[in-house]
Amino acid sequence: MLIAWKELKKNKSKFFSLGTIVFLISLLTFIISGLANGLSQDNASLIKNLPNGEFYMTKDADQTYSLSKINHTIQEKLLKTEKDALALSIQMGFLNDVDGKQRSVSFVTASDSKFFPEVSAGEIILDSSMKEKEIQVGDRLTNNQYSGEFIVKGFVEQSKYSHAPVAFINIKDYEEIYKVAEMQLIYMPEKVVSQDETNGLQSFSNKEFLNTISSYKAEQLTLNMIVWFLVVISGMLFAIFFYMMNVQKIGLFGILKAIGIKTSSLFYMMWTQMSFITFVALVVSITISHLLNVFAPKGMPYYLSMETTVILSIMFLFIGFMGATLSGIQIKKVEPLQAIQRGEG
Amino acid sequence: MAILKLANIKKNFINGEVKEEILKGINLSLRKGEVTALRGASGSGKSTLLTIAAGLQPATSGKIIFEEQNIANMSSEQVRKIRASKFGFIFQFSHLIPFLTAEEQLMLMLEVSKSKLTKQQKKMEVNRLLNLVEMEHRKNAYPPSLSGGEKQRIAIARAIIHNPKVLFADEPTASLDSKRSRDIMKIIREITKTLNITTLLVTHDEDMLLFADQVIEMSDGQILQSKINN
Repeated sequence: MLIAWKELKKNKSKFFSLGTIVFLISLLTFIISGLANGLSQDNASLIKNLPNGEFYMTKDADQTYSLSKINHTIQEKLLKTEKDALALSIQMGFLNDVDGKQRSVSFVTASDSKFFPEVSAGEIILDSSMKEKEIQVGDRLTNNQYSGEFIVKGFVEQSKYSHAPVAFINIKDYEEIYKVAEMQLIYMPEKVVSQDETNGLQSFSNKEFLNTISSYKAEQLTLNMIVWFLVVISGMLFAIFFYMMNVQKIGLFGILKAIGIKTSSLFYMMWTQMSFITFVALVVSITISHLLNVFAPKGMPYYLSMETTVILSIMFLFIGFMGATLSGIQIKKVEPLQAIQRGEG
Repeated sequence: MAILKLANIKKNFINGEVKEEILKGINLSLRKGEVTALRGASGSGKSTLLTIAAGLQPATSGKIIFEEQNIANMSSEQVRKIRASKFGFIFQFSHLIPFLTAEEQLMLMLEVSKSKLTKQQKKMEVNRLLNLVEMEHRKNAYPPSLSGGEKQRIAIARAIIHNPKVLFADEPTASLDSKRSRDIMKIIREITKTLNITTLLVTHDEDMLLFADQVIEMSDGQILQSKINN
């Protein structure tokens, strides 16, 4: 007989209140995590969508890519020898739409590659969020530093940088706007280059490169701290709630021990209840938090991936298990005799 | 024939720097098919003796021989197994599991004792026991909805469903009125005789001593006298 289920069934309100708290905490955690991921996507999906590889910038740029200027010779050599390598530059800027309204964008230009769309001179490809600004294929956009007009050739999904939609332009157009002849970065999806080839350059993994963007690092650090803080709080809540429930049940545990039930069976009983409550609470909070992926207001950057959901769920189950187990130490200490002498429990 | 023998049982408690002798070398033999009652004033050591004999607390020294084995030398796990399969318990307060029905209380005990009966046989056994204590009509009731006497009947059924060799009852009638107390004692006596088990009980109630075969009077941690009821 599953005594754990019987207790759950009979004391629904007690377990329901514990489940509600776990649900609320986990929902809050998932939502904040979704916001953290959403902001992260909004801040750097251009980089995050690239496969894990290496970014190179000049050492004297002091980890600030906008100050980096890659030497032409090194660039040519790397692009020629390394498979799928590309050179790219990113700069914040403005576009004037057909009505003359200024739109903030991140201009990105890159050498030919399979990772970024190919753009000819005078053409522009925009992140799809620009569609909401009523910009359409064929529209003519201008920039104060650019002599001609950009014709919108198309849109790409999920391409943002520094909370601005990315605008892919040709290298020649980029050089005209920013008056620079060198590219800022080299990206290689596979790190196979020797030390000699990258002399004078500093390498960064995708994650390390993202952390050189100060706004990204500060934003993510704060949100992730909140997420993990909530995970720890939920663990403490588990421990406190199960402690309180166990204190109330000391008499019961003692009687069960007196009639011969193993201490380990009492732990299984508690773990079963903890797992069930956490599982149900997680299913509900995961459903709601994933529905937000679809129904979140357009202006709210929100993205909760399945990977993050699974990691957080495992963390919740683990921390719930730890909290309940720690509080359950008193089960081990219960003497049957104590319970018998306590009277009716 | 003695099934449980207590030899020179001593129990001391250390209270601060004071050593209290609760039991001062008790010798006692319990025979099959007999009800033995322990009586005495509060603090005489009768409940301590019962809980030591039942393996619920260790003695300071002495032997507890059950089926030719000394329980006092066994590990707590070995004692737990004996409690689960060979002993039955009735407490002063019935101490039923509040979230299990009367039927489920008995089913749980069959599981704890690792009964080899099939599910169907278990059900039949539960019904038989509930019938024995005249509680079949309340088999789906939860403890809070049962009266004190009904709870104690269920507790008795739970204590014997796994066919224990020894039944321990600590003040089983203390929380009941005199009529219900007599009913419960009658059931305990009948069960002891019909199942040929051994019962050791502690009671304050003089009237209940009539249901015992042997009455042991205790005072100050010692046996004052032993009387056989005819």
